Amino acid sequence: MVELTITELRKKLDSKEISAAELTQAYLDRIDAVDGKLESYITVTPEKALAAAEKAQKSIDEGNATPLCGIPMAIKDNICTEGVLTTASSRMLENFIPPYNATVMEKLDNAGAVTLGKVSMDEFAMGGSTQTSYFKKTKNPFDLSRVPGGSSGGSAAAVGADLCAAALGSDTGGSIRQPAAFCGVTGLKPTYGRVSRYGLIAFASSLDQIGPVARSAEDCALILNTIAGYDFHDGTVSKLPVPDFTEKIGMDMKGIKIGVVSDFFAEGVDDEVRQSVLSAIDSYKAMGAEIIECSMPSLKYAIAAYYLISSAEASSNLARYDGIKYGHRADVAGSYSDLIVASRSEGFGDEVKRRILLGNYALSSGYYDAYYGKAMGLKQKIREEYAHIFEKCDLIITPTAPTVAYGTNENIDDPKKMYQADFCTVTVNIASLPAISTPCGYNKDGMPIGMSVVGKMWDESLVIGAADAFEKNFARQGAKL
Amino acid sequence: MSVSDYIPVIGLEIHSELLTKSKVFCTCSAEFGGEKNTRCCPVCSGLPGTLPIINQTAVEYAIKAGYALGCEISKFSVWDRKNYFYPDLPKAYQISELYYPICLEGAVPIEYEENGEKKTKTIRINHIHLEEDAGKLVHDDLNGVSLCDYNRCGVPLVEIVTEPDMRSPEEARTLVETIALLLQYAGVSDCKMEEGSIRADVNISLMPKGATEFGTRAEIKNVNSLKSIYRTIEYEIKRQAQILDRGGKVIQETRRFDANKGETKSMRTKEDAHDYKYFPDPDILQVNLRDEDLERIKASLPEMPKERTAKYIGMGIPEKEAKIIVSDKLISDFFEDTLKAYNNPKSLVNFINGEIMRRINLGEIDMTAPAFDAVNVAKLVEMSDTEKVSKNDAKEIFREMAEKGGNPEEIAKNRGMLIVTDTSKVLEVIESVIAANEKAVNQYKSGDVKVFGFLMGQCSKSLRGAATPKVIKEELEKKLASL
Amino acid sequence: MELDMVRYLSKLAKLDFTDEELEQAVGDMTSIIGIMDTIKDIDITYDPYKDNHNVYLEDLRKDEPMPSLPTDKLLQNAVNQDGCFVVPKVVE
Repeated sequence: MVELTITELRKKLDSKEISAAELTQAYLDRIDAVDGKLESYITVTPEKALAAAEKAQKSIDEGNATPLCGIPMAIKDNICTEGVLTTASSRMLENFIPPYNATVMEKLDNAGAVTLGKVSMDEFAMGGSTQTSYFKKTKNPFDLSRVPGGSSGGSAAAVGADLCAAALGSDTGGSIRQPAAFCGVTGLKPTYGRVSRYGLIAFASSLDQIGPVARSAEDCALILNTIAGYDFHDGTVSKLPVPDFTEKIGMDMKGIKIGVVSDFFAEGVDDEVRQSVLSAIDSYKAMGAEIIECSMPSLKYAIAAYYLISSAEASSNLARYDGIKYGHRADVAGSYSDLIVASRSEGFGDEVKRRILLGNYALSSGYYDAYYGKAMGLKQKIREEYAHIFEKCDLIITPTAPTVAYGTNENIDDPKKMYQADFCTVTVNIASLPAISTPCGYNKDGMPIGMSVVGKMWDESLVIGAADAFEKNFARQGAKL
Repeated sequence: MSVSDYIPVIGLEIHSELLTKSKVFCTCSAEFGGEKNTRCCPVCSGLPGTLPIINQTAVEYAIKAGYALGCEISKFSVWDRKNYFYPDLPKAYQISELYYPICLEGAVPIEYEENGEKKTKTIRINHIHLEEDAGKLVHDDLNGVSLCDYNRCGVPLVEIVTEPDMRSPEEARTLVETIALLLQYAGVSDCKMEEGSIRADVNISLMPKGATEFGTRAEIKNVNSLKSIYRTIEYEIKRQAQILDRGGKVIQETRRFDANKGETKSMRTKEDAHDYKYFPDPDILQVNLRDEDLERIKASLPEMPKERTAKYIGMGIPEKEAKIIVSDKLISDFFEDTLKAYNNPKSLVNFINGEIMRRINLGEIDMTAPAFDAVNVAKLVEMSDTEKVSKNDAKEIFREMAEKGGNPEEIAKNRGMLIVTDTSKVLEVIESVIAANEKAVNQYKSGDVKVFGFLMGQCSKSLRGAATPKVIKEELEKKLASL
Repeated sequence: MELDMVRYLSKLAKLDFTDEELEQAVGDMTSIIGIMDTIKDIDITYDPYKDNHNVYLEDLRKDEPMPSLPTDKLLQNAVNQDGCFVVPKVVE
């Protein structure tokens, strides 16, 4: 039963075919059996999980079960959980026990969801492989010699390997969608401002967004229904009314206008990936959708704009880690400055340091206008280009990543190569748009390929509906682990 | 050259804490004091994952401060991060407004005396921005450590940046005093120097007389009393003049004033790279103001010192007295309250500027929490005016009120100071005085009027508290004439 | 990117590198800046007015204090003394 969707599990729980405790225990057992190889969980909390399951069972017995009640989930380790170690996969936070809960955790707890534990990620969400984690360098459930993607690699791998029913991830430049694609699962990045970031350890504040990783678009909708909406603690969350995101599940694709931006299929995209996504677009056409050719001239600047903005924000967001208030404190004698320099130098990994240096460079006087200022200008231009496309399209479909999951020893040592691999996903964050990645094929090695369905701001329902329409006609393969 | 051959060019950055109930970006209490680290939450202590949420009142108060200082208000303001590492700044950045501050150009007129001469001048305000305060460090010499208390982190501040328009320590001191008063009247800050709720960074350079170009300036950070501002500038003028006289160059740097030694010292540390790397804070959306918001806020601004002074002069109070009252908002507010109970401004001002001020100066009265209230002081002044108590007894009664509070009528009654005119008793006393002093009465009747004073004194002695001297005199004259 | 620049940036960022790491960082940063420099050929500036989300005064938080975090929870992850965070002595 660990491989079932939330929708299917709901039926089993509500019909008392299984109890919430049995379900939770099944996942805990599987974590015990498999996670030694997969290395997705940094922290497992069996007692808390079983206690939450008991509580959920009560609601189920009383007939008060909401859609996530009793559903075991994994939480990315950059989401603060009161009383439970939260590391952001960094040595810097090796001992950090948050004294408060992220808003999404409050919402999940209130909905009766069961938290199994905290899953690995790239350090401070910087990376696309989960290999920059100080703790668990998670593997791909389809092939343990490959990466699960990142930064939400633990979330996607845990869902892909059936170590949870669903998970929360966070997406700054593709960090939910790309690992979802690599691990053959569905991942949704909501519109910026849809989900509260309160309690999400910030990487790049203007781009970060929490979202679900699950086994179907419908499951993503159920989770988004629970975590979305206005929050007193986050001034950037929209006060717009939150719809029922399952409203377009089972929709008819007839007449839906799908934009295909040729720039996303250009050089650098693996042939098998390109073919797979194009044939998915064909099946939408067969469902009655209208395909419209579009272009995005500024895409060639997107990687630079994304890395400049995100690193600039990160350099400021990560300045608070000094070993004084929390986290790794170096064992050195000397001045305040000596202490924090040593704590930061020991606490942060190489990739985080590179981003901090880049961010300082982009913001420093003399370079600000040429780098940060221009990147912010480009952000506005990319938004305008998307707005232009959405004047004639309802959705855009792109590959989620230019390749399938690569080997754990590839790419990650070459920052340039690693950064360029993000060009399919970053513009969505730059333009604050919602996007979902869902499997659309498998390559000759049996590795999953993902496509992304991108929508207008606040139009998650359509994005989810379109992904669901494809999923209904697609034979998804599970990882054999 | 001597010091007098240089013209000092002075600009100030005045920081004043706003009187909001909660902090500017979180819901912790913004009140001064408290046990260490008891007014902190995940947000103001910079825990990972936390986000700022702007306090509406802090924005309104900044706008009011702007109006009080004659500023134009910007309808669009953007929050920036000012990045630097210091243990009192838990996020390692201060949220401030650099590029799009909330208040733009303004002007503050000042009046001061120099060499016994009255002078006026207008100091231009460059802009005012809203920002958050930092925490406090306590030094533990015994253990060789410093302790961080974040209670003050996130208390809202306005930073008022002036143009370099001041040319003497007196002008600078007067400006700070004037701005403090304006902010107090606007109701946005209590400007208590001793609690650090107003402090200034002083920018100062010298140029030779006749020069048009400013010299290189030094910035003296965090000067926290009017006296220190004056002394800092005096010291810097001397220091910089000496450097320039030697043909040296003033270094553009940050300095600190040591109040004990009366000197400024360089704060530069060798290892530090300096660049605040300001950029728009992505966690806070820009705030827009509409005309109607600004009109409402402007209309809600209380009566300001200039208007009050004019009002008092209109009541017949001499200008000098009116200005004394207005120069202390607590006193002026108190006066306003007494006026509501007793509409005799001149008399009230005499009492307040006389007796009350005297005891304040003696340190007997703390006007932030006086033992007496306005209604009772008004009553006391009225009693004195209507001769229900003597002028001297009124002072005595007030002494008790200043100490313990209370109702002046009851105090006067308990202490036998109340003058209740009892005509039958007056007549009775006069009869007995006349009867007992036949010789004097006869002297008076034979034209020796000097003796009236003696008879009057005899009556007054026995009538103490029962009649006013005026009544006694009238009745005594009447009686003597009828004999 | 020059060695001096990387050194300067590491000071700004309060990071320390060994000579070997520094050499590696210079190489990495040069390569990264190479990607960033693709934006050099476009002439564009940021306009904050375009990022306006129409937030007005009444949308902001009301000035109502709420209870703070208990001091022990605030300090639970820190070296602390007398209810405070401890840092090496700061000489002003």
